[in-house]
Amino acid sequence: MEVIKYEHVEETLYRKILDNGLEVVVLHKPDFKKTYATFSTKYGSIDNHFSVGDQPEIRVPDGIAHFLEHKMFEEPEGYDDVFTTFAKYGASANAYTSFDRTVYLFSATDHIQENVLALVDYVQRPYFTEENVNKEKGIIEQEINMYGDNPDWRVYYGLIEALYQKIPVRIDIAGTVESIYKIDKDTLYRCYETFYHPQNMLLFVVGHESPEKIISLVEENQKQKNFKPLGEINRYFEKEPNEVAEKRKIKHLPVSMPKVMMGFKEKEVNLSGEELVREEVITKLLLDIIFSSSSKLYQQLYDEKIIFDSFGFEYNCSPLYSFSVIGGDTPNPDLLVTKVSDAIKELQQKGIAETDFERVKRKKVGNYLRMLNSPEAIASEYTKFRFRQADMFNVLKYYQSCTIEDVNRRLKEHFDFDQLAISIVESAPQA
Amino acid sequence: MNFQRQIVNNINVHVLPTKQFKTFTMTLFCHTPLSEDNVTETALIPYVLRRGTAKTPETIQLREQLDDLYGAGFGFNTSNRGLTQSIKFSMDIINDRFVQSEQSLLRSGIEYIGNIVTTPLIENDQFRPAYVEAEKETVKKQLESIINDKIRYASQRSMEEMFAGEPLRLNALGKLEDLPHITPVTLYARYKEWLQQCRFDFYVVGDTSIEEVSQYVTEAFKIENNKATQIKRYNNKPDVNEPKTVVDQLDVNQGKLNLALKLPISYEDKNIAAAFVYNGILGSYPHSKLFVNVREKESLAYYCASSFDPYKGYLSIQSGIEIKNYKKALDIILDQLKAIEAGSISENELVQTKAMLVNAFKETTDNAFDIINFDFAAQYFNVNLSSDDIIRMVEQTTVDDIVEVARQVNLNTIYFLRNKEV
Repeated sequence: MEVIKYEHVEETLYRKILDNGLEVVVLHKPDFKKTYATFSTKYGSIDNHFSVGDQPEIRVPDGIAHFLEHKMFEEPEGYDDVFTTFAKYGASANAYTSFDRTVYLFSATDHIQENVLALVDYVQRPYFTEENVNKEKGIIEQEINMYGDNPDWRVYYGLIEALYQKIPVRIDIAGTVESIYKIDKDTLYRCYETFYHPQNMLLFVVGHESPEKIISLVEENQKQKNFKPLGEINRYFEKEPNEVAEKRKIKHLPVSMPKVMMGFKEKEVNLSGEELVREEVITKLLLDIIFSSSSKLYQQLYDEKIIFDSFGFEYNCSPLYSFSVIGGDTPNPDLLVTKVSDAIKELQQKGIAETDFERVKRKKVGNYLRMLNSPEAIASEYTKFRFRQADMFNVLKYYQSCTIEDVNRRLKEHFDFDQLAISIVESAPQA
Repeated sequence: MNFQRQIVNNINVHVLPTKQFKTFTMTLFCHTPLSEDNVTETALIPYVLRRGTAKTPETIQLREQLDDLYGAGFGFNTSNRGLTQSIKFSMDIINDRFVQSEQSLLRSGIEYIGNIVTTPLIENDQFRPAYVEAEKETVKKQLESIINDKIRYASQRSMEEMFAGEPLRLNALGKLEDLPHITPVTLYARYKEWLQQCRFDFYVVGDTSIEEVSQYVTEAFKIENNKATQIKRYNNKPDVNEPKTVVDQLDVNQGKLNLALKLPISYEDKNIAAAFVYNGILGSYPHSKLFVNVREKESLAYYCASSFDPYKGYLSIQSGIEIKNYKKALDIILDQLKAIEAGSISENELVQTKAMLVNAFKETTDNAFDIINFDFAAQYFNVNLSSDDIIRMVEQTTVDDIVEVARQVNLNTIYFLRNKEV
């Protein structure tokens, strides 16, 4: 077992990679009553074309990772329902699927050992039948319809569809009503056996229970299970062209005011590991300097009633795709895009002011430390970074070492107007 | 863990000294009676206050100050707690021990809230007109935007129908039609009145003491002639009429079927814990009757859940269904209500629901804002109730107690949001 101390943030991690490849990480929080645990697989909506070892490659229907997440809650005859088991131990359980991860989780204040085992056991006990697979389709269809009526979701997805031509990040995580009806139990098992192998998974536990105890508990549990050695997982992605798919995408939905999101797609996405984290930190700092509610641009647009409190921004990056998202509700989407674009171009001429840089850097350091109060955020961030071969606890260091030259470099690189796409949701024109 | 309490400058100060967090977490609760006449003006107050203070008139400077305080999180929220309009200012700021700071960050944080709330920017005996106009627009857009989120829209509409004609139907942000009549002068007048009527409760959770916080509060908050209005609790009258059915039509794919029910139980009642257990068995968990029967057994919905608001004595059920399944889903939901009333509650349902509730109350102690909100609920209802007390009450709840609660549940409105017929 490795013990890693992060003295600058007063945290200690305990880590062990078990014989079958499963990585177990415990963050010891002796003052906390609650234990929060996530069991994650490096498998999300984008992994729809893959092979294992020298076996033939396979393409699977869109939305299958999310479908699989729903079906993991099904238990064979003779076992209690998953929610029943957790409820018995007072734990609330849930799961979610993102582009590149599927996460199963619980939070509890008692019976920690029982709950940890319950989590590991149910995720390692798939039970798919033709009947239970078909039954789920109606539920997921309603989930898809719910998001279909949600304009915030639609404008966000519209932007990703406009930015990307090939990478499956452009496909809705839940798939489509059409694609989910193509899912069957055999394909589910195939995906399960590939991506739910312990060597593709990470268990993260935050709480007061002794880390040694948790790690040995899980180790014992894993020894009793047999996993055939898994060949290397190959994921296939078509080459993504530099160009955006569509410059401007409009969807019609009844809304009180139009919504717009603009995004810049990175051309170079060859970074990974710590290097990627460092660039992410710099880019996030840059976006914060330009667009946060303490920026001149925000205040000006707000005073002109072009933006409201819903205005926001984010930066998503991975070794395969990286893009920014900027926008919110506005009475005039094109005017907002023009004003934001002009402001960026002007800044590219002048450069970022030293005082703004220092102020926002200080803010990001504080935000990072505040995040460490939340077991949920730590577990999620730690796993995300770890799956990219990086360490979340280094982020603070990158904020501290970031220079104004770094930020000015990203200002020129990131905002390449050939890489801009715009997504709009507005009410249909009156007939 | 115990709160230390003291009254300072007409403010009830509550401090929980703890080293558990990396932050100081603060909340100022401001409570005035909910009223048809001034709900909108009151709602607008925090929007205008956040724009500028006497010391720091420009908004951008105020926002920069937050960045300088290591990105202190600051926000406000308006809600209705029964007959009270509640404005909550919150701040989360890191503990100085992680950084090098010139001044105590706790002191700076309290000063920030104090300035915002008690020494706003006043020019020519009114708020700055540009700020008032801009924030009126912001509130207007927010009220108009409720329709964008159909889940929120349906729950707002079903509540409006249930409390038709009563102030409880009001949105905490007020009424669209009031906004054009509000001016920088009238709003300032309302602000002065509000400041005097308000009951203020200021909370801090972090590595500090009541003495330290009280000193900073004395320096930062300037409130004169405060005559805090007594909090008036809402007494929900049982219904005698048959439930009404309301249908709205919009351009949607998914139908939203919501039920609004009266459940006149609050924190002062001895069966408050039984009401939480009732709501848990009905619809707040994946093992609850609604989830199991509407979603798992029949695949009719992705979500079907209930929630209980003890401030209003209001129980609501929400679901998103295919439009053609209205009758089927409604029947199943009504069957679940009847089943609980008939005492059809399994040992498992009871045990699991209790375990979930106990866990939820225990977990509140790991989140500073949850600690504050739970304690404030007890203060609001003027009851001496700790999370340990409520946990004990939940554990002692019997099936008979739950049936007793079920008998008080009264279906008032069946609300359906559907597509436009073609």
